[in-house]
Amino acid sequence: MIPSERIRWLAALAVAASLGLSVAAPAAAHGPDPVLGGGRFSQNEVLAFRWRSGAEPPSAIKTAIRNAAADVGESKASQAATFAYSSTGANPIGYGTGTCGVNGIGCFTRSAPDSFTMWLREHGRVYDWGTLRWCQMLTTLTNGCYDAETIALDEFGHVEVLDHHDNYADDSDYTDAVVQTFSRTRPKTGWNMHGFGPCDTATLQVQYDIPLASSPVSSCLDLATVLTLGASSTLLGDGGVVTFTSTLRTITSTAYGRLSTQWLAKRTVRLQQRPAGATTWSTIATMTSGSPTGSYTASVALHTTADYRAVFSTPTTEGLRGDTSPTVGVDVMPCTYICPLSVEG
Amino acid sequence: MDRPTRPPTVAIAILALVLGAVAAGCSVTARPAGSAAASAAIAPSLAATAPASTPSTPSTAALAGGPPRAELAAEGGDPTEGQLGTFVWGDGGSDSPWLRGSRVAVGSGEPLSVTFRPDVPVATWSARYVPATASDPAGARPLGGGTGHPRFAAPAAGTWTVELHVAFASGLGKASYFWQLAID
Repeated sequence: MIPSERIRWLAALAVAASLGLSVAAPAAAHGPDPVLGGGRFSQNEVLAFRWRSGAEPPSAIKTAIRNAAADVGESKASQAATFAYSSTGANPIGYGTGTCGVNGIGCFTRSAPDSFTMWLREHGRVYDWGTLRWCQMLTTLTNGCYDAETIALDEFGHVEVLDHHDNYADDSDYTDAVVQTFSRTRPKTGWNMHGFGPCDTATLQVQYDIPLASSPVSSCLDLATVLTLGASSTLLGDGGVVTFTSTLRTITSTAYGRLSTQWLAKRTVRLQQRPAGATTWSTIATMTSGSPTGSYTASVALHTTADYRAVFSTPTTEGLRGDTSPTVGVDVMPCTYICPLSVEG
Repeated sequence: MDRPTRPPTVAIAILALVLGAVAAGCSVTARPAGSAAASAAIAPSLAATAPASTPSTPSTAALAGGPPRAELAAEGGDPTEGQLGTFVWGDGGSDSPWLRGSRVAVGSGEPLSVTFRPDVPVATWSARYVPATASDPAGARPLGGGTGHPRFAAPAAGTWTVELHVAFASGLGKASYFWQLAID
């Protein structure tokens, strides 16, 4: 993903939100999924669904829908709602004729934070575009069928808040999202995705937050971070021990939604030293993630006056931008009267 | 039976549409010429980017049933209603396959325009086309894009499926429409 595109998307989101409008404009390509209007469900809310009376899916489709609900829980990477079957669930899921428009194979309604509905059309229905075949309903798998689990997961994504992902023109990023304008049939790449893609979870994280401060941020995001550094002492005798403390969080931005000012734990933060008179930095410790959340510490015995900084390098596996803390200078006095105790400045 | 629509939200969106139309500094820029790689930003004024003949806001009842019908016409020709594909509208939506489209015979390069019934304001649109034998948008080529009523030129001779993707103003919803152009 091109970071500037993601940032433009986030900026657009912020402006739209400030105007009180639903964010329905096209997102930058390959950015996080756009969001639907109508609000969100509560964080980690369990949405119970039942089979719609008179329109129960056949067994194979029920299994696919249940599996899709499990896929949500396993792949949401956020505090988005989950879905669970209950015979008394408030939210009906139906199967058969009579809804989803003229050409639709699956559809939904959402009324966050209260309820939703979902519907899958019946296997064998003849449309102008062809005959709907659910792979799960076939005795022998053949090409051209739709995976009901994938389509149900797409619909669950809509229920959460996700609009269709805006792909590159060549669709090369198709598997970055399961919530697609045009779902694929077997055996095209992505026809049977059984988990949200990174650009689905990116929006879920912005809307619902990450599960823990240590949870990875979706690689479909590109969030700026702020790294600080302090020292327990800036003047000490030779061999004295200084404890450096750093904090790491995302910047404060309305565009980041629930990821604004997000403390980030268990990342790799390195402590670097530049001796007085030198021009190059060298890593002297990897700081330890601890309490309070988002803080990192390293205790080091010092023997020379030097500058120190903390470095959080841009990770390759998640959507965070690296940052370098401001420099902290620590003076080390010759070992005469006070060694090795530190000297409080 | 639940339909993928929810009138109260649509009504709110219409209110937002009306307010948005009079508010300065509130609008959506175009997604350039069918390029999904292009970015879109919410920035200047809706009034500034709306077509000269900004459609009046349709009634709530007219919009409650889902996206408007889209009719494509060449200059002086009879309009042909497009096939409605995937859409989100109000508090719901429907997912459809890539469609073949409603057949229309036009000349190469002929200017084509699309109108909506009811005439819902358009925030952005983009059009692209693939050979009519294609079953998905892979390899699609752009035909155009912008704000206001969609207008684009018919592609070269051949039989093509054209998808028009529309984001309607004020977050009313989005929809894809399809035509099959038979071009001499």
